Amino acid sequence: MAQPFVKKDDDHDEEEEYSPFHGIEKGAVLQEARVFHDPQLDARKCSQVITKLLYLLNQGETFTKVEATEVFFAVTKLFQSKDTVLRRMVYLMIKELSPSADEVIIVTSSLMKDMNSKTDMYRANAIRVLCRITDSTLLTQIERYLKQAIVDKNPVVASAALVSGVHLLQTNPEIVKRWSNEVQEAVQSRAALVQFHALALLHQIRQNDRLAVTKLVTSLTKGSVRSPLAQCLLIRYTSQVIRESNTNTQGERPFFDYLESCLRHKAEMVVFEAAKAITELSGVTSRELTPAITVLQLFLSSSKPVLRFAAVRTLNKVANTHPLAVTNCNIDMESLISDQNRSIATLAITTLLKTGNESSVDRLMKQITNFMSDIADEFKIVVVEAIRSLCLKFPLKYRSLMNFLSNILREEGGFDYKKAIVDSIVILIRDIPDAKEIGLFHLCEFIEDCEFTYLSTQILHFLGNEGPKTSDPSKYIRYIYNRVILENATVRASAVSTLAKFGALVDSLKPRIFVLLRRCLFDSDDEVRDRATLYLNTLKGDVSVGGSNEDVKDFLFGPLDVPLVNLETSLQNYEASDIPFNISSVPKEVKSQPLAEKKAPGKKPTGLGAPPVGPTSTVDAYEKLLSSIPEFAGFGKLFKSSAPVELTEAETEYSVNVVKHIFDGHVVFQYNCTNTIPEQLLQMVTVFVDASEAEEFSEVVSKPLRSLPYDSPGQTFVAFEKPTGVPATGKFSNLLKFLVKEVDPATGEVEEEGVEDEYQLEDLEIVAADYMLKVGVSNFKNAWDSMGPDNERVDEYGLGVKDSLTETVSAVVDILGMQPCEGTEDVPSNSRSHTCLLSGIFVGNVKVLVRVSFGIDGSKQVAMKLAVRSEDPEISEKIHEIVAEG
Amino acid sequence: MILAILFTNTDGNILVERFHGVPAEERLHWRSFLVKLGADNLKGSKNEELLVASHKSVFVVYTMLGDVCIYVVGKDEYDELALAEVIFVITSSVKDVCGKPPTERLFLDHYGKICLCLDEIIWKGMLENTDKDRIRRLIRLKPPTDA
Repeated sequence: MAQPFVKKDDDHDEEEEYSPFHGIEKGAVLQEARVFHDPQLDARKCSQVITKLLYLLNQGETFTKVEATEVFFAVTKLFQSKDTVLRRMVYLMIKELSPSADEVIIVTSSLMKDMNSKTDMYRANAIRVLCRITDSTLLTQIERYLKQAIVDKNPVVASAALVSGVHLLQTNPEIVKRWSNEVQEAVQSRAALVQFHALALLHQIRQNDRLAVTKLVTSLTKGSVRSPLAQCLLIRYTSQVIRESNTNTQGERPFFDYLESCLRHKAEMVVFEAAKAITELSGVTSRELTPAITVLQLFLSSSKPVLRFAAVRTLNKVANTHPLAVTNCNIDMESLISDQNRSIATLAITTLLKTGNESSVDRLMKQITNFMSDIADEFKIVVVEAIRSLCLKFPLKYRSLMNFLSNILREEGGFDYKKAIVDSIVILIRDIPDAKEIGLFHLCEFIEDCEFTYLSTQILHFLGNEGPKTSDPSKYIRYIYNRVILENATVRASAVSTLAKFGALVDSLKPRIFVLLRRCLFDSDDEVRDRATLYLNTLKGDVSVGGSNEDVKDFLFGPLDVPLVNLETSLQNYEASDIPFNISSVPKEVKSQPLAEKKAPGKKPTGLGAPPVGPTSTVDAYEKLLSSIPEFAGFGKLFKSSAPVELTEAETEYSVNVVKHIFDGHVVFQYNCTNTIPEQLLQMVTVFVDASEAEEFSEVVSKPLRSLPYDSPGQTFVAFEKPTGVPATGKFSNLLKFLVKEVDPATGEVEEEGVEDEYQLEDLEIVAADYMLKVGVSNFKNAWDSMGPDNERVDEYGLGVKDSLTETVSAVVDILGMQPCEGTEDVPSNSRSHTCLLSGIFVGNVKVLVRVSFGIDGSKQVAMKLAVRSEDPEISEKIHEIVAEG
Repeated sequence: MILAILFTNTDGNILVERFHGVPAEERLHWRSFLVKLGADNLKGSKNEELLVASHKSVFVVYTMLGDVCIYVVGKDEYDELALAEVIFVITSSVKDVCGKPPTERLFLDHYGKICLCLDEIIWKGMLENTDKDRIRRLIRLKPPTDA
């Protein structure tokens, strides 16, 4: 740990540069510490030695147990001196040494004496030291003094006791909780800091008692808090109370007036805290936001960088949910692009990218271009990600945004930065069909001069998948073959595979590809040669693989059908012999749950209707998992997988959740089971499903889980057939059946005999929303207009008395399972009417758009007008049926 | 929680380093992160101009005082504004002890007193005292004037 960071260079010998700690060494300082034992203490000398010891400790130097004990005992001698400066040093030194429990006793009496001293400063410091080194037995002895100290008239003593209380609450909560009366009194103190510390402690003592916190906030918001720091705490506690009491979204919000009044406080800290609290209120309305945004806007042009940073950071967050509210600040924000502090500039840029409209994109991009050259890679990545979201929001602007990405791709940058750009281009190619050719071309240019093998191979793989499907695949060949000539072996091998894909998928190119592949047969690397040989022989038909061309393609480029982990294990276990390795011997069962529900942390929906990017990987993983099970191979393409639905209560013996996988003519239930009993091993785990309340479904496959050991999740599947393309619904009851065997947890030994047992799970439903994919559109109006009125179905519904529109809108969205677009799922509070725009893809890959308008009258009667457009008039009808049934 | 206080000279050598609630194995990482942050941004900045950065939920406020770079790292309630308050107390106390924005030598000459100031300002990760005059008295065990 100890790093000799400040052993100063010897050649710095000028007087000015000479350090008082020059050449300091631990051993020598410990020797010097012997002066502490002198009968005639030299206070000045002792202070100097302590300074040196502190210096060593502050450098990260550590003392061994023996050294620390020795120094500690020596330091305790210094209590004899009456010198105040030395005494202050001694207090600090004891805290730094944090003596062990058996040593503490040496200083306890001296400190107790100081704690009762007439000098207030001795008392304050003794309290702090004692509380730092004390344990609970000693604490009960001094508790009486501490309680007195909390209400001491000297603010330093009171603060010392209060701050000690905050720390002691972690270790001895039951003792500190007894002090609440004294702390309560201290909250009323006239000394600002005492009030601040007391408020913090009081809240910590009562934080689990909602009523008490509400009372505390109610009494203090009436205005007796002097210190700005305490005021900030109070604002935080207030917003906590508001959050927890968020039952009525109608009408006035409690304590909002207080928050608003804090916006006019004289301390900037308080103003900012209040503005931040307002922006973070759940379901905040634009009327509530306005005053907060106004003060934040003022801060944007403050001379203090910290204020500018705080303001732009908060506005950046607001822009995620209420982009329109922030547009007023755009001019101030634009001037921050040239801010000295790059963190501020980056936040300003990304906020602008979120709030900008289609017409401002070009101007913004121009400014960013100048800005990019002088920021560090980590900031650039943030900007690239923001530009990607912007492009998905305004697909028509893809040309200029794609150009920007390709330009920065050519400039200097590290791996993570380049990877972020490449990933963005790939996502844009995938989501904006028009951008495909230009994007692929940029990627081709990039690999011509790419120093990262990983990126080159990724791009080559992507080219192989997408290139053959373009209008003129031949133009990519040159770029790919250049890699074969110029690159390292890994990239060359990838390039060979890519060439082969073009050959396999584009018949007209086949002969020319063969010429190129033949050249690769003489490569210096064996992997490259092997790949070229394999592709040549199979694609030409010299070696027969299956009967048709499709079989060859499937063999070469199709999925492996076995989990990679299992393949890896099998290959490692394979010993070279005459019997060749057989891939069909690799187990296909996935050992553990592959998807540990890794939800991207903190990824909030933008509410802008941009297609969600996150969940794709989960769907991919499910697809892979299901395709590895041969029984499900004939079900076709997976349409949708639901989020896991819990079928057991939390903390039961067996925990089971289910994922519903929807196919065109089938439904597969994936039961994820976990055994939480160490003494049990479950075998042949199945779920018996009773589908008597789901008439259109008939069970076709049940795939048991062979073994379910303790704490290692596994899956069992049940598949049902259903009428193709029909959104059949129904209710299923589930019973978990298994063979249970006793396990000795100490040895892991399993008893041979098992007992059959079963366990009732909760019911499961297939609802209409399961057949709808949440897919947003970037511009609802364009999409709506281009769909045309031919397949439109409109109807009106009376929904009866409802509490609020917010609740009604979210109920309808839930019934349909569609993606709300352009933030229309948020209903401004108190509004009497609202229109919500929804988009989705219905089973059978039919695009559906819904425009649903609500109105509420004085007696809370809600009426709804539902207009549906889709590619198929029957589906439009169907949506109405779903709503009518829901 | 105030997670760390770091003082370095202009070459990035550590003068004072205090951590609160940071596991020992992460400290080295923090130290080099902060020193690099300073090396990238503090050059050419004005005396006592505050710079600010954030990473995930952690905030860093840092500045240059004379020849000494000061970094304060915090999270939760110690956001950028609270840390600005903390660093303001620290810089004013250091100036008070040294008599002016310190050179490295001057800083080391007053090392003991500076340690005492820090002890008064931060108590195991919490801000305790905010007034430099009061701190000046407290480190000499003199009661504050407003007592």
